[in-house]
Amino acid sequence: MRTLNLHTLAAMAAGAALAVADPAAASDPKGKEKCYGVAKAGENGCAAANGTHSCGGLSKVNYSGQEWKLVPGGSCEKMGGRLEPFEGPSPLDPASKKK
Amino acid sequence: MLAGLQRAFQDAVLGEADGTLAEHVTAPGLAARIAVYRNTVQGSLGEVIAAAFPVTRRIVGDAFFSALARRFAAGHPPRLPQLSAYGADFPDLLAEEAALHRLPYLADVARLEWARGESYFAAEAPALTPGVLIETSPEALDALKLRLHPATRLVRSPYPIHRIWQVNQPEVEDVPAVDMSVAENVVLTRREGRVALRLTSAGDAALVAAIAEGEGLGDAAARALAEDAAFDLESALRDHLIAGTFRN
Repeated sequence: MRTLNLHTLAAMAAGAALAVADPAAASDPKGKEKCYGVAKAGENGCAAANGTHSCGGLSKVNYSGQEWKLVPGGSCEKMGGRLEPFEGPSPLDPASKKK
Repeated sequence: MLAGLQRAFQDAVLGEADGTLAEHVTAPGLAARIAVYRNTVQGSLGEVIAAAFPVTRRIVGDAFFSALARRFAAGHPPRLPQLSAYGADFPDLLAEEAALHRLPYLADVARLEWARGESYFAAEAPALTPGVLIETSPEALDALKLRLHPATRLVRSPYPIHRIWQVNQPEVEDVPAVDMSVAENVVLTRREGRVALRLTSAGDAALVAAIAEGEGLGDAAARALAEDAAFDLESALRDHLIAGTFRN
């Protein structure tokens, strides 16, 4: 295996260090601050929004009688919902009114 | 009893069938109701995977990717309460997937994407100060064990993973042809909160790999020269100092 002699190694290492022209470039520039939580898509805490707020929007059926959401007490049946799960389409589903 | 119920519920939400849940729970419409949980769990984990592997997703298409992500989610429930850590094994699933044998580079592209996420979330640490390389005696330099910065990753591949990654960014509308015979190595580093992907030579990849394994600088340089006789240590080290590959 070809190896570098010690002086070549040292010269190259020093050369590399000296070539990093401005030592300040290797440290954080002044006047900037770290800002978390503003990363753009693809560079961010990938899935936080998806994973932590995922429940809404994933149901495959609109107005399913098996789905529920919390509504103000007493307002459920006024809106056309029911207080127990039920089979079949909801009267709120526009698709069920077309026929 | 409780453990049995929890196991049955886990099987029901992660699997396709309801398994033994009906032995524990009696409820009208159980199958349809549990399907809502299953859909939410598998769907949200699938979205985590999709967010972590956007290039892979673009290459195989949304429909196929969704199927892969759901299969992954079913077999790999999260082990940490930290979504950024979810999906590490997804590239392995791609490598084993028979339907993907015509895209042999895909698993390595996914590894590159995963490395990018890991780099982004890695701990902070000060980068190596260039002066260290000047002040250290030749003998000590030869034995010097540089340490990789926590955000540094190396991905080596027999495929042009860097090029494939570049041409599959969202802003690229017409993906050009890519010469698949090119092997590429990528060093990922993070400076000021941004992850940088840098295409690097086989020699430099060998250097970084040797340093990652704890070799002294002299031996690491020898391994780089063995990989590539034209390896230029000086310019490689300069680039690493600028990129922040090593830590103090």
